[in-house]
Amino acid sequence: MRSILSVARAQLATALRERITLFWFLAFPLFLLTLLALIFSNVGTEVDEMTFDVTLVNLDRPVAGTADFSAGIVEVFRRLGEPRGEGQDPLFALHVPEQGADVPAYVESELAALRVGNRAAVVLIPEGFSASVARAALAPEENATSKLVVHTSAGRTSSDLVVSILDQVFVSVDREILTKLGLFDSSRALVLEERGVGSQGGGFRYVDFLLPGIVIMGFFTAGLFSVPGTILFGREQRILRAYWVTPLNVPRYFAGFALGHLGLCVLQFACVVLLGRFAFGARVDLLRPLPLLYLILAVVTFLALGFLVAALARTANAGMAIANIANMPMMFLGGLFFPIGELPVALRAVMLANPVTYLADGLRASTGTGAGVLPTAATIAVPVAWIALCIVVAVFRLRWDVER
Amino acid sequence: MDQAAVRVTNLRKSYGEVHAVDGVTFVVPAAHVFTLLGPNGAGKTTTLEILEGIRDADEGEIEVLGQRVRRIDRTIKERMGVLLQEGNFEPYLRVKEVLRLFASFFHSPRSPSEVLREVSLEEKANAYVKTLSGGQRQRLALGVALINDPDLIFLDEPTTGLDPQARRNIWSLVTGLTDAGKTIILTTHYMEEAESLSHLVCIMDHGRLIAQGSPRELAAQLGRETLIEFVAQAGVAPSPEFLGPACKAVRRDGDLILVETGDLVATMARLLEWSAAAASPLAGMTVRQPNLEDVFLSMTGRRLRE
Repeated sequence: MRSILSVARAQLATALRERITLFWFLAFPLFLLTLLALIFSNVGTEVDEMTFDVTLVNLDRPVAGTADFSAGIVEVFRRLGEPRGEGQDPLFALHVPEQGADVPAYVESELAALRVGNRAAVVLIPEGFSASVARAALAPEENATSKLVVHTSAGRTSSDLVVSILDQVFVSVDREILTKLGLFDSSRALVLEERGVGSQGGGFRYVDFLLPGIVIMGFFTAGLFSVPGTILFGREQRILRAYWVTPLNVPRYFAGFALGHLGLCVLQFACVVLLGRFAFGARVDLLRPLPLLYLILAVVTFLALGFLVAALARTANAGMAIANIANMPMMFLGGLFFPIGELPVALRAVMLANPVTYLADGLRASTGTGAGVLPTAATIAVPVAWIALCIVVAVFRLRWDVER
Repeated sequence: MDQAAVRVTNLRKSYGEVHAVDGVTFVVPAAHVFTLLGPNGAGKTTTLEILEGIRDADEGEIEVLGQRVRRIDRTIKERMGVLLQEGNFEPYLRVKEVLRLFASFFHSPRSPSEVLREVSLEEKANAYVKTLSGGQRQRLALGVALINDPDLIFLDEPTTGLDPQARRNIWSLVTGLTDAGKTIILTTHYMEEAESLSHLVCIMDHGRLIAQGSPRELAAQLGRETLIEFVAQAGVAPSPEFLGPACKAVRRDGDLILVETGDLVATMARLLEWSAAAASPLAGMTVRQPNLEDVFLSMTGRRLRE
């Protein structure tokens, strides 16, 4: 046991002192997590966490003594511009012209702001709005309509979202008006009950989807590059041979090596999870039994994969070449960073043979951060089959000493 | 004969059609330095690898430290120390960590700090392996070979590539080990090293053992001849007949001419006559006694380093 722990300690110390290993083991996963979390920070953010810059200009001046429907609209916007709760931001950061302002000039400047992306929408309540609403409500046979003008920025997601929100708001406002006029019975309205699936509640958040992917990627690159690198370099440089002339045998060395590798993966996992949680507010809980099972399965699978590469390569350079060739398709066709959509048949075959796909899917399903599109049994069976395959090849092909 | 530390009988190892070791038999007495000498491909490294437990023999009997074994097992390794040819350690481990790591492989290791002192690496205890010089690395390798206080030590070309000072440092450590009663099996390319350290020398060529004995005994196989060496001019060399009956042989080794003689004065007189007649000066002439290199040359017609 003493020798196993010593080999593990040496393995850990060596990896943490070597800059290249340290970069791939720790810096790269943290860098990638930061990069993707920053770039796609809005993806999956719930609407109730977002604030849109919206301008409202009321041009309606109803005649005294008639109904002022535009005041109701203004009130709706004013409410949407209030904080949603204590410590929470409002849905709309509302911009309105000041008293006595030059309204046409103000509208022009707000449209300019919309063009450069500083506004999500500019809403105009046209002149005569209240009169047209009253006409439309009281004399529907005239097919009169009342219109609000909403200026948006084409193709901008925030504009699309504001239009969608306003659509919903005005359907409600419309119903309210009709109800007040006795033309709509809200108790008979069709009710939609929405039920989310595949998440722990709170909706889809990209960082929660990304974090398990980054953890799996870290284990994957660690196994794929570090294992053959250490074994093949050690073999070539006769570092391993120095062990074989002592009482240390291959099984003990392997046990120490695997233990050291596990230690490195735990360290890497801790860094990634802490960064995700404290820098990007990730809420995904990976420390429950089922996610832990997938994490251990991932470490073992990629450790075995590393030994497979070491078994197939004759030199350290060849080992790195094989690892590099395997790296890209396995990593990017494993659904680590983005959900895998429809793929051409050839790529789909790679995806379905890829243990990364199953581990990432299984881990996400177990944490509620992904829909879990693959059968649960497959997410365990396929990686186990890969482990078995790698062990068989490594036992028969891997040479632990320089060949004569 | 003293008690044997290693006894090898009819050892054979082949790689396909190549007989790397072809029926080698020798005995290494305890507390002796036993040197395997031979050119590259002679079979000495394979012989050593079998005794170190890295490879298995195809045939033959091996008795190590009183145990007759088919292959070198864990219990024998507990009593063995090995300095490998071109051996290496993890470049990002510190010197003391390397010793601690190897100490953990044995049941009763020595203290790493004691070994560090013995190989004079105390000042480098915290240095990474990759920062060590060639001589310091070899001293570390020797320290690793000594970490279990072994009875039998293998030193496979321990001074190759080292400067003369570093080489002498290793020699003095080896001498200290034999004084402490350790048995050492050494391979080397350096004749001076073999002659100054070895009690017994075994010369191998083409997988076979062609001579064995102490350096003095082996040199004596050439008789009482003295060697005259000089560089031939324009490829001409005197014939043994011209140099007279005292001349035993005239050999050519590249540009170098070697004259073996039983009567230095008589042969030298004839050689000077030949030089004057042939108008060929005896450039770089030296007179010396035969050494192991000459033994090997006389037996195989080749030099050890060819």
